[in-house]
Amino acid sequence: MKNVSELTDFYYKSLYPALQKLEADRKGLRKKIVIVAAIYTFLVALITYNINTAYDFIFVAYIALGTIIYKFMIHDYTHEFKMNVIKPLIKAIDSSLLYSSKTHVSDYIFNRSDLFSTPDRINGNDYVKGNIDGINIQFSDIHAEKRTKSSKGRSSWHTLFQGLFIVAEFHKNFEGQTVVLPDSAQNTFGNLIGNWLQSKNMARDELVKMDDPEFEKEFVVYSTNQVEARYILSHSLMKKLLIFKKKSNHPLHVSFIGDHIHMALEYDKDLFEPSVFKSLLDYKVAMEYVQTLHLAIGIVQELKLNQKLWSKK
Amino acid sequence: MSTPLIILIVVAIILVLMYNSLVAKKNQVENIFASVDTVLKKRYDLIPNLVASVSKYMEHEKSLLEEVTKLRAEANKPNISDEHKINLDAKMSSALGSIMIAVENYPDLKANENVMHLQHSLNEVEEQISAARRSYNQAVTDYNNAIEMIPTNIMANFMSYRRKQVFEIVESERKNVNVKELFN
Repeated sequence: MKNVSELTDFYYKSLYPALQKLEADRKGLRKKIVIVAAIYTFLVALITYNINTAYDFIFVAYIALGTIIYKFMIHDYTHEFKMNVIKPLIKAIDSSLLYSSKTHVSDYIFNRSDLFSTPDRINGNDYVKGNIDGINIQFSDIHAEKRTKSSKGRSSWHTLFQGLFIVAEFHKNFEGQTVVLPDSAQNTFGNLIGNWLQSKNMARDELVKMDDPEFEKEFVVYSTNQVEARYILSHSLMKKLLIFKKKSNHPLHVSFIGDHIHMALEYDKDLFEPSVFKSLLDYKVAMEYVQTLHLAIGIVQELKLNQKLWSKK
Repeated sequence: MSTPLIILIVVAIILVLMYNSLVAKKNQVENIFASVDTVLKKRYDLIPNLVASVSKYMEHEKSLLEEVTKLRAEANKPNISDEHKINLDAKMSSALGSIMIAVENYPDLKANENVMHLQHSLNEVEEQISAARRSYNQAVTDYNNAIEMIPTNIMANFMSYRRKQVFEIVESERKNVNVKELFN
């Protein structure tokens, strides 16, 4: 597998012609968006001035319609970008990987992961699927939301999870369910009270205290089986998960269910989308695409999932 | 209700909670020891096979093999205490470790399919044993903490709960982890 700097080279060298064309598109598009936004805002302001009532309704409608217009305007540009930049990047990492810009990891798998409460709506895109070193892996952008109803009966959506969702085969046999979550209680309330609060979490299985202090500080583990949880989370895997967490620098949720490892990385934004107001040749912009892809596809090697137990071969 | 009565009820509730939490911790230790026992037994079951396949080749390590057989026989005796089982496990781990190192000196043996199979099975069982040991140690630590910390220590004293022993990692075992061997 290519490393990050090789991929960055690939981005700036091999993709340069495509990027240059996209840059021209982007500049034209940016101009168009600014003009349309100005006209649109002016019109809405004019209407509001004349109606002189229902401000909150107009504001909500303004934002909603604005978003739709914006999405419609960048639609072609987004498609071009994904086909000419993201797809070749993925192929450069591993040519056997399949990419689809429209679909996402199935709702079934997301719900199976048991990392979040059951969402009422799952959206996503940029689905990648393939086989790395004999391990099946798939990941995509996921935006899972839950509907809540206020006392007035008005329903609103709130986000359960937005970010990168990765699923891969796990190299050990297990039967139960083990969930690793970011540790918020222990960080906020300290060890004693935090631990007590964690053990009282009714929505989860038994609390498993791990014997790696650094891991224990960063994560909290719940499992149906104390011994199995430790069988899965060996000392070396705990170290590797810590390194992965540091590398990604985003809250990490992991679960081991049904012979698979599920990883959810919270980014709180839609990933792999083209930047409209920043240059695609900007180093920071490029690095985000490259690093995120490398991180996701790299988990097989990073967590040594390819070193299958002998009885699983 | 009078104040003394309320205080009495609160104290009674606290005592019951303390008692129950201690019992729960003790049962957790026993419960997890049962899983440790299961995986240990799994390993003991592999030993006759291992001894049978390597004894033909290993002339110089006869004493090692005898020791392993003896340890297994001892572990299979009924009614042995948990402490004794823990000690036997430590001895067994180091003896098996030495055999595995000795196998390296016999190219014929290393290539033997049967021995390879046994080695892999042993490695898998070792991983399970390690997980079970870690769980047991955590349960024992929770239990030991409870019987030594205020206020549960007073209650534990009345219930005559004693400290329990944890598994210690054998020095030789720490060295023996050879990743290449594990996954070839």
